[in-house]
Amino acid sequence: MSWELHNVAIIGGGMMGRSIATKVAQEGLSVCLKEISTEAVDASRAELEQSLDHEIARFGLTNSEKKAILSRIRWVTRFDCAADCDLAIETVQEDFGVKRRILRELDRRMVEDHPIVINTSTLSITELATQNSRPERIVGMHFLYPVTTTRVVEVVRGQLTTDEVYDRAVEFARILGKVPIKVFEMPGFVTTRVVLPLVNEAMHTVMEGVAEAAEVDLAIKLGFNFTMGPLEWADRTGLDRVLNWMQHLHSESGEPRFRPCPMLKRLVRAGLLGAKTGQGFFLYDSNRRRTDRLPDDKPRPA
Amino acid sequence: MKILVLNSGSSSVKFQVIETDLERMNAHEDRTLATGQVEKIGLDDSRLVLNVPGRKPVADYREILEHRAAIEWALRVLSDPLNGILDGVDDIDAVGHRVVHGGEAFASSVIMTPDVVQQIEECSVLAPLHNPPNLRGYQAAYAALPDVPHIAVFDTAFHQTMSPHAFLYGIPFQLYTKHALRKYGFHGTSHRYVAFRGSQILDWDKGDKKLITVHLGNGCSLAAIDHGKSVDTSMGFTPLEGLLMGTRTGDMDPAIVPWLMAMEEMTLHQVNTMMNKHSGLYGVSGVSSDMRELVEARADGHQRADVAFRMFCYRVKKYIGAYAAAMGGVDAVFFTGGIGENSPEVREWALGGLEYMGIEVDTEINATLVGGEGEITTEDSRARVLVVPTNEEKTIARDVVRVLNGIMPTFEPPETVTP
Repeated sequence: MSWELHNVAIIGGGMMGRSIATKVAQEGLSVCLKEISTEAVDASRAELEQSLDHEIARFGLTNSEKKAILSRIRWVTRFDCAADCDLAIETVQEDFGVKRRILRELDRRMVEDHPIVINTSTLSITELATQNSRPERIVGMHFLYPVTTTRVVEVVRGQLTTDEVYDRAVEFARILGKVPIKVFEMPGFVTTRVVLPLVNEAMHTVMEGVAEAAEVDLAIKLGFNFTMGPLEWADRTGLDRVLNWMQHLHSESGEPRFRPCPMLKRLVRAGLLGAKTGQGFFLYDSNRRRTDRLPDDKPRPA
Repeated sequence: MKILVLNSGSSSVKFQVIETDLERMNAHEDRTLATGQVEKIGLDDSRLVLNVPGRKPVADYREILEHRAAIEWALRVLSDPLNGILDGVDDIDAVGHRVVHGGEAFASSVIMTPDVVQQIEECSVLAPLHNPPNLRGYQAAYAALPDVPHIAVFDTAFHQTMSPHAFLYGIPFQLYTKHALRKYGFHGTSHRYVAFRGSQILDWDKGDKKLITVHLGNGCSLAAIDHGKSVDTSMGFTPLEGLLMGTRTGDMDPAIVPWLMAMEEMTLHQVNTMMNKHSGLYGVSGVSSDMRELVEARADGHQRADVAFRMFCYRVKKYIGAYAAAMGGVDAVFFTGGIGENSPEVREWALGGLEYMGIEVDTEINATLVGGEGEITTEDSRARVLVVPTNEEKTIARDVVRVLNGIMPTFEPPETVTP
């Protein structure tokens, strides 16, 4: 195999793009990260540095490691850098039209057998792939946030993805220290499909007045040894995104079990989107720390 | 014979060419012909530096993506008619490889056969950051020099002479048998070289003495060496145990780890990084992991720098006392490593008050001995204290000679325990 992975193009410097870029650079690979404007580059870089500083404060990273990470990330506003990259991954919003346009830009510039990765949890890899001249080199990867600590990534085979491209995506996952879960294309794959009904059910439980939101969350968190409850997870993911996925899963499958809880819709319509807006099911400060934990919801030694 | 010594890390390869043989070894006349390193492997601005004694250093830059290219580059520069020191790569008679972890499988330096390489691979679970790049370096060097012997020299082998009562932890025995969870110790080549060289300086040729070797560098460890055998050492299952170090905790109550993970909601990764990279001199002082800067800050009245300095010296002293007790006395203490060789302050504090053990430091001589070989105890001192600059590369080269001449000693434990 002549293909070796040294340079990675990441399209989109949002939360997911930054998180992937950090992990890729941490593993010693070079990254070019594309944003739409110099203003967006500045904002994205500032956010990335802030998250590295946060990790330093949590003892997970050192100053010199931060420097090394930043030195491996090149910020650009044009697609040209993709020409030198061994693999490209898009991390823009879950929007078919936007992703399609980006794939075309990449397809036009990249060496013909270098993989192009779509990062999606719900969209069809095959449908996006067929919009390109070489659909066989398009493969899906569903990273879970935060990419630096979550150990799993779903690697999604589209109908036309070749074995070679698929294996390269698996290798990319391994280089990042992730366990690749091999999945075929289907809305929601494994993780999203299984977690959303759980989250939805937690919302219904609150809506039906079985228990307060905080009690529902704490029961599930402590009962099943989760790091956080399903409602806090939804708050941190963004209730608008959760609703978007639910609606997509519902319309693709037609299954009533994926019908979004009316309470979720109501919160989104009110602009209460979770941690990022300070309020969803729970309350958060400007550092996204929850301010309304129950007295029982606290760490305990041994 | 000319020996290439390689120390391969994940993104760097350090190399030396050393000319030595049995005669030169015994006369302490090994010659280092060149030292150098390739840095930033995997990036497009990799750098090679070559130092030949008596010449100006040479630096070169290019894109080096993996170890094989790095070692080919090093060999090319070493054979360069203008800057090099070899007539060609055929000049190299053997290659010595530093390998960090030999587990319980290796109690000696050995020729790297396919079996040996396989066993080193199996030890990777004990040193996941070090053994794999060590082996990448070997594979690259073997590709370039397939016709000469390659010898592995382990950081852990020298301490394999420890007895079970010294190397076992007080955890359920089956965890030792299942995971090989025990004290291994590190810096073995350094402790061995310093013990040998210190004894040579003192004309102690019988090897019947009780020695404590104190390696204080980036990592810090002591070894208790009785009759030439390591009977205890302060680093453990990993290099985290023992002395306070630049950024490492050294000894602490293990209950702190689960407590912090619960109360600070720290992940395994965070707590590991905290103990290895955010602690030690740096973590306590908040100033620096560098002893020189700490000594300066302390002189300026910086309290946390002062307490970090005192913690550091106090622990060295505690271990010296412990090892003297373990051996039933001590004939000599040898200091080495960047701090051990260059910090009279640390030596003075670590040895202060040990007169009852027969250690009397000549403070004037100690204060002036920086970066050289020499004795720092008074004429009347019953135990002798020496500063002995370490040379791990030379030990590796000498082991190559020993292995090829069939005189490499084995550092076996005196007894084993079966479940």
